[in-house]
Amino acid sequence: MIFINIKVIEEYGPIILSGLNKTAILTVGGFGMGFAFGSILAFTQCFGGRISSRVATAIEESLRSIPLLVLMLLIFFGLPEVGLSLTPVQSAILAIGLRSMAYQSQILRSAILAIPRGQIEAALSLGMTKAQLFTTVIAPQALRIAIPGLVNQFTIDLKDTSIAYAIGVSELFTEAVHVAQVALDYLTPLVFVGAIYFVITFAASSIMSRVYKRIAIPGLGASQ
Amino acid sequence: MGIVSAFELLAKYHSIFLLGLRNTLILTATAFSIGFALGITIAVLREFGPKPIRHLLAAYVEIIRGTPMLLQLFIVYYALPAIGIVLPPIAAAILGMGLNSGAYQSEYYRAAIRAIPRGQYEAALSLGMTTRQLIEVLAIPMAVRIAFPSMVNELVYLLKYSSIAYFLTVIELTYAGKIVGAETFQYLEVYTIIAIIYFALSMAIVRFCKFVESRIRVPGLGAPEATRGLI
Amino acid sequence: MSGEILRVDNLWKSYSETPVLRGVSFEVLRGEVKVIMGPSGSGKSTLLRCINLLVRPDKGRISLEGKEVFPKPYDSIHRIRQKIGFVFQSYNLFLHMTVLDNVRVGLIKVKKLSKEEATKRAMEALRIVGIGPELWNKYPAQLSGGQQQRVAIARAIAMEPTIMLMDEPTSALDPELVGEVLNVIRDLAKQKMTMLIVTHELDFALEVADEIMVLDGGKIVERGKPSEILNNPKHPRTRRFIERLRRRVEHGHR
Ligand SMILES: Nc1ncnc2c1ncn2[C@@H]1O[C@H](COP(=O)(O)OP(=O)(O)OP(=O)(O)O)[C@@H](O)[C@H]1O
Ligand SMILES: [Mg+2]
Repeated sequence: MIFINIKVIEEYGPIILSGLNKTAILTVGGFGMGFAFGSILAFTQCFGGRISSRVATAIEESLRSIPLLVLMLLIFFGLPEVGLSLTPVQSAILAIGLRSMAYQSQILRSAILAIPRGQIEAALSLGMTKAQLFTTVIAPQALRIAIPGLVNQFTIDLKDTSIAYAIGVSELFTEAVHVAQVALDYLTPLVFVGAIYFVITFAASSIMSRVYKRIAIPGLGASQ
Repeated sequence: MGIVSAFELLAKYHSIFLLGLRNTLILTATAFSIGFALGITIAVLREFGPKPIRHLLAAYVEIIRGTPMLLQLFIVYYALPAIGIVLPPIAAAILGMGLNSGAYQSEYYRAAIRAIPRGQYEAALSLGMTTRQLIEVLAIPMAVRIAFPSMVNELVYLLKYSSIAYFLTVIELTYAGKIVGAETFQYLEVYTIIAIIYFALSMAIVRFCKFVESRIRVPGLGAPEATRGLI
Repeated sequence: MSGEILRVDNLWKSYSETPVLRGVSFEVLRGEVKVIMGPSGSGKSTLLRCINLLVRPDKGRISLEGKEVFPKPYDSIHRIRQKIGFVFQSYNLFLHMTVLDNVRVGLIKVKKLSKEEATKRAMEALRIVGIGPELWNKYPAQLSGGQQQRVAIARAIAMEPTIMLMDEPTSALDPELVGEVLNVIRDLAKQKMTMLIVTHELDFALEVADEIMVLDGGKIVERGKPSEILNNPKHPRTRRFIERLRRRVEHGHR
């Protein structure tokens, strides 16, 4: 492309790439937190008492209807008012994690609900306890069903780490914008980071779909 | 924080909140409409169009889905001037969001077009319809009905992602919050109010669309919803 | 007025090396009703689909009213299809349209009639198949199978085709609904509508058909007057096939 300036990449490429580090921390931290708490939320909704499952649903639904940016600003600028000051990176991870939690909870919940009732009855009729039922039947099946949805959420979390630009986290996108402002060329750094995001999301999807095939069991899978 | 101070904030700064609300709704509605037109076009061309165009559009969809929306808005706003296209912030935001939504929406309509039973196409052909007529009479109207739940999800998605216009200094809800916050330093109250407004808007959109759906529903026609998460 | 409406000459069709039609030839004259029978997989549907070019034959010749349709169509395919009414086993009514719109849409979009003219003709066609106004604004899913198939027939005859092709029009129906559809087809036969029908309704064929053709393994193995074919089949495979159909009818399922 004629508008891409190779010189800018040569000169500033390493600076932009230095943001990869923070992007990785936000993605892995946010997604990981989302998975840990999302599992608990989904479990509560499926197996918890009436009140606790209602509360879990309310948490999930309200977090899903708030923009990530608002959540991040609320945490970073708002929480100090009640004496809770988090660094930009911590705030970003928390925001991404909370939002990811809400979506992963939904993904895991529908995966659990997709397990045929007969599976559970069969396990119980073998005399399994609830805990045994969960670890040997429900979790292995639900995780397999949920994988495509979880991978997708992972790529969404990755792409949305760019929103941490708002609170000054020096991740990929922020670095690219800073370079753009210095080099007085927006297109080149933006296309450059765009390519990086694209490669990572693409790689994540293809690796995960390979994993998915590897652990796939005939007759059990998500209709994607 | 106090409920009282939240109400005071709302009362004192209602005009800026209202401006933000207005722009949020404009962003969401117009971006959705652009995305709808673009999405239908892409879907139809990818299903019925010539090979080279199919590949080209597939690449477009993959690129949009593989990169952040924020980056796309920045390219439209900051990079297009380099080739002589200068847009005001709100127009750039609408265009960027529309281009983004078009790629996602095209996937919903494509899945819907594929879900139309084969016999429907055969019946249309056997009446002597051309491909054009078949698209107009059968593929588009049916795809829209089948994809309706996904369209509702997309609308709610765009409502939330319209907050990203904040970065182009468009005074939508989130940016309005920033302005009020900077003046009062009551960030917690301000952003809580903003969050509640988004929540209420999401609920309202979902309710409204349920109503619309009950109006346009056709017995025997329906499909599971897809979201940006699960296509 | 007599004359040849449809002529099929030495028609061949294979699906990935497997021959499905192996040199089928026959003709249908104006006002004739011809019935095709044959075991499952013998190529009956493929034959009908080849005639209105939903499926492209490999070899042979098809002509309509003396004009070549395949291999060198005398006109664009969609204009040729307008002259060939097609009734599907599974009705295939447009699910998102009301009964009236289903019958009108071809007239408005394809034949470019005015809405009033199209509506008038659609109502006339619906009257012929016995679908009353109380059903005109219903959607297909709200109708019984027999009603849906009658609407599908109305949709086809509203286009005023020169020939109707019907692919097992009653085999998806519950037994108690078969009669109403056969009655409609019987009426069409009385009006001298030219028809080529795949069906295994023996009594109906005996009454309505001018000729029965038995397809087996992609070939017409036997053809003749209905009474001959049904009462005195020559081919041993045809005899077994007809006997099987008889037994099924006696045991009350189809
Ligand atoms: N699109 C296709 N691709 C591959 N094979 C096909 C296709 N359509 C039909 N066939 C095969 O061609 C053969 C004839 O099919 P056809 O549907 O014409 O039979 P039929 O006589 O109508 O049978 P039935 O009584 O079951 O409707 C079958 O073996 C079928 O599997
Ligand atoms: Mg058949």
